[in-house]
Amino acid sequence: MNADDPLTDDDAVGRALSGDLGAYETLVSRYTAIAHRTAFLLGAGNEAEDVVQEAFVKAYRHLRSFRRDSAFRPWLLRIVANETHNATRSRGRRADLSVRLEGVREPSGPEDPQDTAVAGDRSARLLAAVRALPDREREAVVCRYFLQLSEAETAEVLGCPVGSVKSRTHRGLRRLREEVDRELL
Amino acid sequence: MNSSDDDFEAELRALGESLHVPPPPGDMSARVLAALEEPKPRFTTKRLVAVVAAFLVVLVAATPQGRAAVAEVLRFAGVEIEVGTSGPLPSGSPSPLPSETSAALAEARRMVAFPLVVPAALGEPGQVRVADGGQVVSMYWDGVRLDQYDGTLRDVWNKQLGEPFPQPARVGDLAAMWIPQKHGIEYLPKGGGRPVSLRLAGPTLIWQSGGVGLRLEGVATLDEATRIAASVR
Repeated sequence: MNADDPLTDDDAVGRALSGDLGAYETLVSRYTAIAHRTAFLLGAGNEAEDVVQEAFVKAYRHLRSFRRDSAFRPWLLRIVANETHNATRSRGRRADLSVRLEGVREPSGPEDPQDTAVAGDRSARLLAAVRALPDREREAVVCRYFLQLSEAETAEVLGCPVGSVKSRTHRGLRRLREEVDRELL
Repeated sequence: MNSSDDDFEAELRALGESLHVPPPPGDMSARVLAALEEPKPRFTTKRLVAVVAAFLVVLVAATPQGRAAVAEVLRFAGVEIEVGTSGPLPSGSPSPLPSETSAALAEARRMVAFPLVVPAALGEPGQVRVADGGQVVSMYWDGVRLDQYDGTLRDVWNKQLGEPFPQPARVGDLAAMWIPQKHGIEYLPKGGGRPVSLRLAGPTLIWQSGGVGLRLEGVATLDEATRIAASVR
């Protein structure tokens, strides 16, 4: 939130509940970027924009079920995650797997070409390893590190207990290290 | 392990930041507002009964004046109701329901998977028709029509209304909804596919009994409609 935009999430939710679409628009503007990134990185691919639009529409229509004493962002991102699942499921299982993280690439080369090549190589392997993780571990890793959500937020977004987030993340990290370190030998 | 967990986690975060992700759409606010002001698209019609019930709560709480600009979609007793839009009402000759056939009452009872009722206040129906593979049964009296349908698993009908909003009502101890004005009505076939535009419907009372949705059409006042509805046996 910036200084020109003093409406808190809770204020905006309250006004939106009483029919103020302008207040809801504030929430849409505030969370479009993270919602879009979440949809994309969870596998929505080129449907990410539609997923985000549908998520905001659903969030508005279900605003009454939002618990006002909790945070809006993870609640919204959970809807985004669910819409992403719906979108990927409707593409069918095979497409579902092949499209994960599709289009995610390293940025093209800055500074020292040698360093960049090495770092790029490791990044590419690490990314490939993330892509190859089992769904649940990949989702946890994506939420925790690529989206930089807290464990509690990740739990809400993925709809599982915090303990599951911890164990999925732990297993995912171990697998990733094994993959990356093995290839370095 | 040859680097600490913290380092590895930091590396993953850095990788996340370096990833190429398409820029977020700049016009999302406008898109969302436009979608909220449009009638709800038809393809989101697969709803479980739990969702129907959830929307009923929204209906009761969300129909104050001044909400006309916001399209509300209400789901009740197998009926999806779009409120606050004033699209053109259908005109011309009425279309029948899909694969509609005439049947005797006893025969109709055998053809459908749900219990059929008849309002004692109206007596035996002049005509009974079964449609869409036993999904809907329509009974006719003079100017009055009662539709019964499997209202549990999905939205069967789609109504388009301008103001005034439908009015919550009761049939005995069952929640009901009274739509006093003429409105367009569409039927969403069992197997999916395009909604069938039926006709311009008159005042209608909708309620749900057990798993069966009922709509009584053609009775001019709410009092009379609830009296007839309460007499079903």
